[in-house]
Amino acid sequence: MKVWQFSEQAYHPAWNVPGDLRITFPARHADPVLAGQLLNRYLDEYMLADELGYNIMINEHHASATCMSTACNITLGILARQTKRARLLALGVPISHRSDPVRVAEEIAMADCISGGRIEFGMVKAAGYEIFLSNQNPARLDQRFWEAHDLILAALANTQEVFSWAGEHFNYRHVSLWPTSQQRPHPPIWMTASTAASSAKIAALGYRCATFLCGATARRVFDAYRKSYRETHGSEAPRDRLGYLALVAVGPTHEDALRKAEHMKGYFTTAERVGRQFRNPPGFAPAAVNAQAMGMTQPPARTLLSDGRPLPDNPSIEDYIDAQLLFAGTPDDVVSQIEKFYRETGGFGNLLMMGQAGTLDHRDTVENLTMFAKEVQPRLAELETRLAQVA
Amino acid sequence: MQAEISRLGFGQLSFELETLRLGSGAPLLFLHGIDGTEGARPLLELLARHFQVHAPSHPGFGASSRPHDINTTGDLAYVYLDWLDKVGLTDITLVGSSFGSWLACEILTRDASRFARAILSTPLGLLQTQNRQNVLTDIFSMPPDKWPDVFCVNKERFITPKPGMDEHNLRIARNREAAALYGWSPHMANPKLGNRLHRIRIPTLLVQGREDAIAPQDYGAAFANAIPGARREIVGQCGHLVHADDPQVLAEKIIAFAVQGGR
Repeated sequence: MKVWQFSEQAYHPAWNVPGDLRITFPARHADPVLAGQLLNRYLDEYMLADELGYNIMINEHHASATCMSTACNITLGILARQTKRARLLALGVPISHRSDPVRVAEEIAMADCISGGRIEFGMVKAAGYEIFLSNQNPARLDQRFWEAHDLILAALANTQEVFSWAGEHFNYRHVSLWPTSQQRPHPPIWMTASTAASSAKIAALGYRCATFLCGATARRVFDAYRKSYRETHGSEAPRDRLGYLALVAVGPTHEDALRKAEHMKGYFTTAERVGRQFRNPPGFAPAAVNAQAMGMTQPPARTLLSDGRPLPDNPSIEDYIDAQLLFAGTPDDVVSQIEKFYRETGGFGNLLMMGQAGTLDHRDTVENLTMFAKEVQPRLAELETRLAQVA
Repeated sequence: MQAEISRLGFGQLSFELETLRLGSGAPLLFLHGIDGTEGARPLLELLARHFQVHAPSHPGFGASSRPHDINTTGDLAYVYLDWLDKVGLTDITLVGSSFGSWLACEILTRDASRFARAILSTPLGLLQTQNRQNVLTDIFSMPPDKWPDVFCVNKERFITPKPGMDEHNLRIARNREAAALYGWSPHMANPKLGNRLHRIRIPTLLVQGREDAIAPQDYGAAFANAIPGARREIVGQCGHLVHADDPQVLAEKIIAFAVQGGR
């Protein structure tokens, strides 16, 4: 199993300011000197991850104290140069929000060259609230996404004549990447899914599919992927096509791991601090889905505990572990939690691991990453081989 | 009140248009706002006593379909001009409300030949800024369950979703989506409209609620000034949606304006 270290690179010192932390949170709450120190610290931890044998995942968000990586491909460029071995996954670049898809293709190609072909490229639609920052039309965003996708792939793959593009959303006279990506025809493509319908579509395209922090729901997402992959491609989906993102806290004792997890929990509690008016702008979700939600007095819970009850308000660390959003404990505990999840979801080849989250400090992050790399990761490889033989 | 759905084809465009037709008399075309035709039913029933009322749902709203390349108010204007050519109405009293009044202006600045007069209730569509900020209240930066408070003085008159009413809720979801499609950015405005309003040369009456919380009173005044000879009337105890807050008064103003021949 490939393990990808990931951090949202939060500006946690501002989290004690009451209210929303996204969209409307004024910049006066950020000290840019401290922001620079934190960003460098997170990059140091990515460098350590590279040395420890991890792969690396990065992302982007905007106008938020929960994530300072506002330009995924800038972080990608730094790591392309500074790391040596890790595969570098941008998950993702919000291509429907970017004004210039050819520029996105250029950034990916350039980073792929600098890294020696280590880039993996996630194209994402982003959360609904990001629309209020890019100001793209929510009702045309899906169509814009797929046109940007077609254009970026055409640009990356092309080594023949320069081409022009006359689309509904984008127009170019001359499209030509100098240089193009080392990986041909383009780096591996990733997308994210939280429903069976989306993962089936991703499978049909043959892309890698990740699902985030959804516990038991991952089974439905992965099953739909495997079914659609089989139907489209006539073979079983390779395990490396599927990934699951969770928080991971490991320690020499159960108590120490739970202490680390308490620091990381801030990720969950702050991610939700966004005004409800921004979560689902009209047109972002299909009208039928919105209409269905209007007809319900209580929206269905996305995350469930193992007994089927919804994750409660103010969940405890034990609740997060039970819901499989967090794997935490001694190396033995973590291996057995991941093994259980792996069995329940039918297997997956990528663990997207938030090894730093919330207020977990540098010392604890180093310990977390080091202990996981030395005592958990080798046993995950072994686990995958063992379970593959059983299957 | 029976809605009729007809399949239309104009040039390369093909879609279904839902239209309410009621009453008899001189033709009146009603262009609805973000609350759809359902938001204006009391007004339409009052108008039907004097007019033959035609109230289509704009493509994307209500039960009207929308080909993906109809995505601006200019596109809608051409759809309606084609549609009027097809149905052959003339000497029409054109009534719009809110977003529908913007659409009325997009039609009239292109071709007003089929229209006798226009009544624009609280029009949107004109871009007015202060320190480069749009003066209109941004409805998309508030949750839709706050919309009744900003659109109406009598907030219970604003159409809202109801648990278990699937068809009603789907219409509302489509209305909201279409409002975002046509009015997302610049928010509820066409920056070029101000350069074109002088082309509206038919008698025009603007009506605005005194308590309008979407468009400031100065905005309504600037709108009226941009249309040659337009008259402006303020209605008390009304918010942005005069048609919902006081359909009786709005109907009276429309009828009186039509009877006077729009003078």
